[in-house]
Amino acid sequence: MNTLASLYQPVEAVIADIIPETRDTTTYHFVFRDSQGEEFVFEPGQFNMLTVFGIGEAAISISSDPYRGDGFTHTIRHVGSVTKAVTRLEKGSVVGIRGPYGTGWPVDLLQGCNILVVAGGIGLAPLRPVLYLLGRERKAVGRVELLYGARTPRDLLFAAEYDHWRDKGIKVLLTVDEVPEGTIWEHSQGVVTGLFDRMKSTPENTIVLTCGPEIMMKFVAQGLAERGFSPEQIYVSLERRMECGVGKCGRCQIGPKFVCKDGPVFAYAELLSLPEEVL
Amino acid sequence: MVLARYRLETQVERGLALLPKEELEGFILRLKEGYEVFGPTRKGKGHVFGYINSAQHLDLDYQTTILPPKKLLHQPFETLFHFHTEEGVIPGERKLPRQVLFGLHPCDVHAVEILDTVYMQEYEDPFYKAKREKSLIVALNCTSVGEHCFCASMGTGPDLKNGYDLLLTDLGSEYLVEVGSEAGAELVTETGLSPAPRVKVVQKEKRLDWARRGFKKRLVTHDLERLLRENFCHPIWNRLRDQCLACGSCTMVCPTCFCYNVVDKIDLGFKTGKRQREWDSCMLLEYAQVALGHNFRKERDVRIKQRIYHKLLYYEPQFGTKGCVGCGRCIETCVKGIDLTGIIREIRGEHLGKSIPTG
Repeated sequence: MNTLASLYQPVEAVIADIIPETRDTTTYHFVFRDSQGEEFVFEPGQFNMLTVFGIGEAAISISSDPYRGDGFTHTIRHVGSVTKAVTRLEKGSVVGIRGPYGTGWPVDLLQGCNILVVAGGIGLAPLRPVLYLLGRERKAVGRVELLYGARTPRDLLFAAEYDHWRDKGIKVLLTVDEVPEGTIWEHSQGVVTGLFDRMKSTPENTIVLTCGPEIMMKFVAQGLAERGFSPEQIYVSLERRMECGVGKCGRCQIGPKFVCKDGPVFAYAELLSLPEEVL
Repeated sequence: MVLARYRLETQVERGLALLPKEELEGFILRLKEGYEVFGPTRKGKGHVFGYINSAQHLDLDYQTTILPPKKLLHQPFETLFHFHTEEGVIPGERKLPRQVLFGLHPCDVHAVEILDTVYMQEYEDPFYKAKREKSLIVALNCTSVGEHCFCASMGTGPDLKNGYDLLLTDLGSEYLVEVGSEAGAELVTETGLSPAPRVKVVQKEKRLDWARRGFKKRLVTHDLERLLRENFCHPIWNRLRDQCLACGSCTMVCPTCFCYNVVDKIDLGFKTGKRQREWDSCMLLEYAQVALGHNFRKERDVRIKQRIYHKLLYYEPQFGTKGCVGCGRCIETCVKGIDLTGIIREIRGEHLGKSIPTG
């Protein structure tokens, strides 16, 4: 790693497993090819720059258990040039990894707190490491609720894991925008903020972690404000274009913030202090 | 840490020497024995920082160059590494020559110092750092001022206080040479320049005073932060939306702009290629576009506001300095005549005859 290019030079990793999630999203498990990756540890909420050699590099959040020792996973929605190219790879294919980068979720603040997790669509992927952590450290925190919304029942990510999360004492509330005819759906229908009336979470001693489309996070922040939550207790994870991940390419800037290194997780109060409206 | 070292070096020794203009050729040739020399040279109606073979190529009576010397430290196109599509990175090494950046005006030297912070604080950019550490700066004070210059407003000119290895001032038939670093002192010794009497400093100050009176443009920085925060919705941004072509020229010529895009260039056989970074511009439509087509800065007024706010407001918390050195290149290059100093004047209401506190 001592070459001139080292900061921008990815380390090779191999696809060890491919887990189909939904019609446009897949989870890939990666292990590093050589010993270079042995020191790889990440915080929940951090991301990697993922390279498909010949196509390019994209910022992808890490979706696996931070304590899992053998590599890491990315849950990838195939909507961009790099993420579509990933679909052409198979087990054993080589990708490049740089990272982990960015600030994670404020896990140090969670101890003793109630936790409300609000996710939309692929936004559940960067929150899954926290759910693993909370499942493991369940006694260290108070009430834990997950509100998750997707377009249709078929678009729900990690559906096989909800019962496991419930067993760990995490309350899981689900909603979808549409229920196609002939589909059995016993949960809510409508936007994720519609679940606020059914949740137990109150502002008292609660930290909110949210990730999803910006329009969703905007209404989450507004809806929670109406219920007495303050901007200081809400944390959001933002998406921006990134070419470097380390505050050099400039592409992800919002005001004076580099989303790649000052974020992607921000306290909502921090965003409100910027001259431009973010959410 | 590196920055601190650069700054310290500039304070090591303050020697004075004289370089008669007829000896410039010999001076350049001696430099070329150990360095590649880049300096201002004529191109069409303007000037560029070009490769200098002989003093005859140099034109030190220049006002400004089309592109700033940034291109010699952060290249417009840079290969990050080569790769094999199935195997990954192909290891390789590059040797960089030592280079002298010759004849940089004070604004451009200040801009290099800003880039030092951008590229070397926190994560160190290996390419910038390698080139920077192999570069000496022979700066040139400004004894005349260009039409669009406003460095005096930004505190970056027309004279230079530090950040150089050697600093030249045109005294007519000779250059006063001030030493700003150990490397600069060695250059003076190696090239056999004669010491200068202190009186030459008085001559230098007279010429700089003359230059200071020549500014046609200014940008009042007093209370600028509050002013910008309060005018995020000023009507000027709507007008600029219709005026600006979003061509990106202002950012291409800016000495402190640092943004880049990264692309993979694949070879004809589809097996190997290289990853390359290229200067990019926040003024271009695709700059903030993400997968699925969402664009965080789709409107032109939002983009132009981002450029102005970044330079004058956001650099400060990011890098501890303003992002504009008053070189005037963005004004010079804009085909629509958009003028950063004019924007600030208008926001201040100065064009309506409001009195402005100086500062």
